[in-house]
Amino acid sequence: MKVFFKLVFRDVYLVIKGASDAGAAILFYLLAIIMFPLSSGTDTSLLTTIAGGAIWMTAMFASLLSLDRLFRSDFEDGSLEQLVLSGISMELIVLSKCLAHWITNGLPIVLLSPILSIIIGLDFEYWWILGLTLLIGTPSLTLIGATPAALSCAIGKGGVLTALVLLPLMLPVLILGSGAITAEISGLGGSGHIYALSAILPISLLISPFLASKSIRLGWE
Amino acid sequence: MSNIFNFLANPSRFKIFAEKVNPFLLIIMFVFIAVGLWFGLFNSPPDYQQGETVRIMYVHVPAAWMALMVYLSMTIMSIFSLVWRHPLADILSKSSAPIGATFTLIALVTGSIWGKPTWGTWWVWDARLTSVFILFLIYMGHIAVVRAFEDEYKGARAAAILTLFGAFNLPIIKFSVDWWNTLHQPASVIKLDGPSIHIDMMTPLIIMAVGFLFFYLSFLLINVQTELNQRKLKKLFIKKLNLN
Repeated sequence: MKVFFKLVFRDVYLVIKGASDAGAAILFYLLAIIMFPLSSGTDTSLLTTIAGGAIWMTAMFASLLSLDRLFRSDFEDGSLEQLVLSGISMELIVLSKCLAHWITNGLPIVLLSPILSIIIGLDFEYWWILGLTLLIGTPSLTLIGATPAALSCAIGKGGVLTALVLLPLMLPVLILGSGAITAEISGLGGSGHIYALSAILPISLLISPFLASKSIRLGWE
Repeated sequence: MSNIFNFLANPSRFKIFAEKVNPFLLIIMFVFIAVGLWFGLFNSPPDYQQGETVRIMYVHVPAAWMALMVYLSMTIMSIFSLVWRHPLADILSKSSAPIGATFTLIALVTGSIWGKPTWGTWWVWDARLTSVFILFLIYMGHIAVVRAFEDEYKGARAAAILTLFGAFNLPIIKFSVDWWNTLHQPASVIKLDGPSIHIDMMTPLIIMAVGFLFFYLSFLLINVQTELNQRKLKKLFIKKLNLN
């Protein structure tokens, strides 16, 4: 367990120090949100209806952007191999990477979301449901994305292919997350969506470490 | 039974087997689809509400079943390839994906054509339609990943991992009409308390479904033969290069 937190701390530290460009994804998140009012007009009633979906979509793209580099730099300079050789289980490394990714990517998105919801015109009384869905949803996005990210390391080229593989898998999270907000605004209550969304998290927590570490090993074969 | 599997596990023996069996599969497929189409188009009653448009069902429903069936078989193949590292399972899974994607596309397109007169719209974003669309995207991702690797062995393993991951979508598709209120009608053939569809419509549907199943099997075998031939060609080419 001590090793686990050390690994997490190392990755977070690297991001804060600026050695990894994962922090740029947050900047992308801010920029992309601003694109919505600029591209679809500043009509307040229209913005209110699309706000939840817009924030969720940009959150998904922001994590997609940084997920491509989840394992890549460590995979390419060999530190991942050294970690495994030193006797730490691959699954634990995957989990630590995911947690570090969530702390540097998911958590800022969650924390920024109430402020951004004002900018984009979501009614302020709904900020809690936006925050709640993002809080449950972003870890699932990270965990779901770990396997395709590991696969892209094994392939050696990422980019478009990772997006192509990843987006269909992420869609359920996006649908449920933005659906909860829409349902809450329309007065139906978003709890059903939130229950389904929170079911995805433990399932992906269970499956993805194994599949991701299998994919990483594939790159070493 | 396991002897048969062991016998067929050898790719070159499988190729000989495929060459012998495939003509029969093709004939069975043509007979079933021809009979099913005749039943479906001429010898079955029109629906009391939908009229003649119900005949789209005899293509739409079997195609949708096969879209799920093919993915299910790919999932089983992926487990085979990951656990026992079986080369034939890799090839079968790789050859299944384009067929499955085609079935999914057929189901989506015919469903859309059926939806226009009955629902009044080409497309709605309800749970069933969306989840089938996601299935199509997963198929396309699989096809892209298999071909992205230089080393076909690695590509197959990567695609197997991806297939297992995407299998979460199957139960969602199957039960989406029960879990959510959808415009798409709930299941009326495969359900616990027996089919609720009249026997006159059931007959052509089942015949078409069997025809589509044989379509899958025969085209799978053709794809596998092509794949095996391509690998053999590659080997011959390398051998020739080494000799020179």
